[in-house]
Amino acid sequence: MAILKPIIYLLVYPGLLFLFVYSTFAEWFDRKLFARFQNRMGPTHTGRFGLLQPIADFVKLMAKEDIVPDLADKKLFTALPVVGIAVVSTAMMLLPVWNFDPAVPSVTSFSGDIIVLLYILSLPTLIFFLAAWSSTSFFATIGGARVLTMLFGYEVPLFLAVLSPALMAGSWRLAEIAQFFQKKPLLILPNLIGFVVALVCLQAKLERTPFDIPHAETEIVGGTFTEYSGKKLAMFRLMTDVEMVAGSGLVAAVFLGGFPGGVWLGLVNFVIKTLFIISLLALMRAVTGRIRIDQVVSFAWRYLAPLAVLQLLIVILLKGFVL
Amino acid sequence: MKFTVPIGPQHPALKEPISLRMTLEGEVITDADVRLGYNHRGLEKLAEERTFLQNIYLTERICGICSHSHTTCFVQGVEKLMEVEPPRRGLYLRFLVAELERVHSHLLWLGVAGHEAGFDTFFMYTWRDREVVMDILETISGNRVHYAINTLGGVRRDIDEIQKNKILGSLDLLRKRSEYYLHIGANEPTFVNRLAGVGYLSKKDALALCAVGPAARASDIPQDVRKDDPYGIYAEVPFEVCTATTCDVLGRTVVRVKELMQCYNMIEFLLKNLPEGPVSVRTQRRAKPNEVVSRYEAPRGENIHYIKSNGTDKPERLKVRAPTLANYPATLLMLKKGYIADIPLIFAAIDPCICCAERTATLVNGRSGEERVVTFSELRRLARERWQKAPIKKDAVWPF
Amino acid sequence: MKIAAFLPELLRHLFKKPATVDYPFKKLEVPKDFRGTPVLKPELCITCRACVRDCPAEAVELFPLEGPEKKFRLIIHNDRCIHCAQCVDSCPTDALFMDRLFEISAFSRHDLKRQWEFQKATVKVKAQVTTA
Repeated sequence: MAILKPIIYLLVYPGLLFLFVYSTFAEWFDRKLFARFQNRMGPTHTGRFGLLQPIADFVKLMAKEDIVPDLADKKLFTALPVVGIAVVSTAMMLLPVWNFDPAVPSVTSFSGDIIVLLYILSLPTLIFFLAAWSSTSFFATIGGARVLTMLFGYEVPLFLAVLSPALMAGSWRLAEIAQFFQKKPLLILPNLIGFVVALVCLQAKLERTPFDIPHAETEIVGGTFTEYSGKKLAMFRLMTDVEMVAGSGLVAAVFLGGFPGGVWLGLVNFVIKTLFIISLLALMRAVTGRIRIDQVVSFAWRYLAPLAVLQLLIVILLKGFVL
Repeated sequence: MKFTVPIGPQHPALKEPISLRMTLEGEVITDADVRLGYNHRGLEKLAEERTFLQNIYLTERICGICSHSHTTCFVQGVEKLMEVEPPRRGLYLRFLVAELERVHSHLLWLGVAGHEAGFDTFFMYTWRDREVVMDILETISGNRVHYAINTLGGVRRDIDEIQKNKILGSLDLLRKRSEYYLHIGANEPTFVNRLAGVGYLSKKDALALCAVGPAARASDIPQDVRKDDPYGIYAEVPFEVCTATTCDVLGRTVVRVKELMQCYNMIEFLLKNLPEGPVSVRTQRRAKPNEVVSRYEAPRGENIHYIKSNGTDKPERLKVRAPTLANYPATLLMLKKGYIADIPLIFAAIDPCICCAERTATLVNGRSGEERVVTFSELRRLARERWQKAPIKKDAVWPF
Repeated sequence: MKIAAFLPELLRHLFKKPATVDYPFKKLEVPKDFRGTPVLKPELCITCRACVRDCPAEAVELFPLEGPEKKFRLIIHNDRCIHCAQCVDSCPTDALFMDRLFEISAFSRHDLKRQWEFQKATVKVKAQVTTA
């Protein structure tokens, strides 16, 4: 009997089933909002309001033929999608939603877990690069090179921006940072610059417009995903969806004051705050066009990194003189 | 490290098959080569077996976007051969549809440029406004694409007061939206940074390589067939030739948006000064033996049709030179020294209508690199010989 | 150069109706002069074969039937038709007209033919025809 609870946690909530359902819902929300910004309808027909559309896409891809190129490294090629899903699911586990007893550190919430979460969230980039490299196709190689080049641009501003509220709260534990901002909600305002920088860097990490260079459809056919098809492509798409939820969960936990309220109210809070961040990401996606790879790196180092440092300076000054 | 990367024949950036083979070093293109012929349909031979009246519909189907330009160019030439003069109301209606087609083509191009640059929202907005023009064309001519409104000696349909007022009403909406797009195009930083400085073609090069259309006008060459050699009623309609001085893709965008505004003025003038009278005259079926060259300013540049008649009701020879064919050498020059990320934009900036440009097949000898142009009957003979002699091959490898 | 120049436009679109239509559950109206498929009025046809001569796609076929009465059969091959309406313009008695159908797909091209059997009419030819 004692073994049943962890199994339910792993498989149902907050485990794989909840992840699958919620991340496909998040993808539906993003697509519908993107379509409404462009004055068209978005998914309508599958399920009520098109809610089942991402699940239908997943099922369709699982049913298609799976082709592995002759020259590709078969073991790496096949293993990478599964590793990807494992990595982002682990990242979801560390969000401060389901540590049902905040005072006690546990496996999912311990001091320093913000660093572990940031590290785990930077692994998908490496997985995309390895996927491109093991495909040995020309377009995939260019996509892989672009993925790594973008990493040089957005990773440092993201780390700096996310660490400033941690500095303000004086702790490296996500649950405590969330609690700090829940007690003093006005202190969210000085962190606004960091919020904007973190949103832009999150958009770059998720490889969405304006930063969708690595899999730019009109230029390099599919980029990192050119040679993937069938079940492996379904896994990769699910991985990008879960990464979107995990990333917005991180930004919501650090900047918007976490998800208070215990088991059920915490879940409602989680859904509302992550959907808010996803709607901001969809807005950013609709407003801009794609920029070139050299422009990404120069934009990141010319604007994002100095703004993140400025944010850090503001937090240090505030902490020194006011708090 | 040099790569040779094939863009095409199948590629998401291209709407039609064409093979561009680029040599890359890193992300910079050092050399580019083009192979045509994937869309060859044998239209010139088909035209020799149909009467002049049936050929109107054949030339219309050379292209979907610039369909009216091909059929008007052809009909102009045949009317010259038959020595008939269409009535003025017919001419006004013919060129009203021509200017509406130019509007729809430029709005389509704006959307495609946005899509190639990754700016999907712009794409959706311009195509939504293009629906207004398509609906107008549907009420005038009965179909959204392939209007088939030309006939030998004039046009086939007339417009009444209700349609005229509807067109004038939608012109206001289109004017407002086009100014809005000019405003966005000039102010959205991600879009402008993608377009500025890309695909540079100096004035000297554009003149030397005979670039036509907005690609040439963006390099500060005021060349427009409607002003240089006025056909139809363009001698009476007031308009300006739009040029830009930046010689890059941003210049071509600006030229096309300025041309949109000129088109709206022209459409208003044509509608307000529409003369009364019949819309067509009777023509004979046969044409005397003669030859004629007919030029027309399509949305993409200068369109040339050469028609030769021999006294029967079928043409002896029809030769079509579409504007995109003239822009290919200039494109190859623009592609060198560019980035790989700019390939779709540079190629889309000349507004490629590849199916217009497929006229001959060039055979390249794979081993020696020598090229020769062959006729279709020769190709058929070669193919038959090869199949009869070839043994069954296992593990065959493509030669390139 | 402003950042996000058309942000207000985007936000306004959230509250507007979408510009796209939920086809096939809702359909759009076609205008009254739309060129659909050709239809014959058999009581007006004088079997002059102008439509057969002028069709660019060889989609009209007219031949006499065996038997004592002078009956003809006209077949319109809708799979070859390019919907140009040249047959309508060439007909001297206005016996052909275009209807407004455009959703004419079928599973086999032989289901797309339409035919009429009729007797040759004696109708006066209309005075003005656009091309001889």
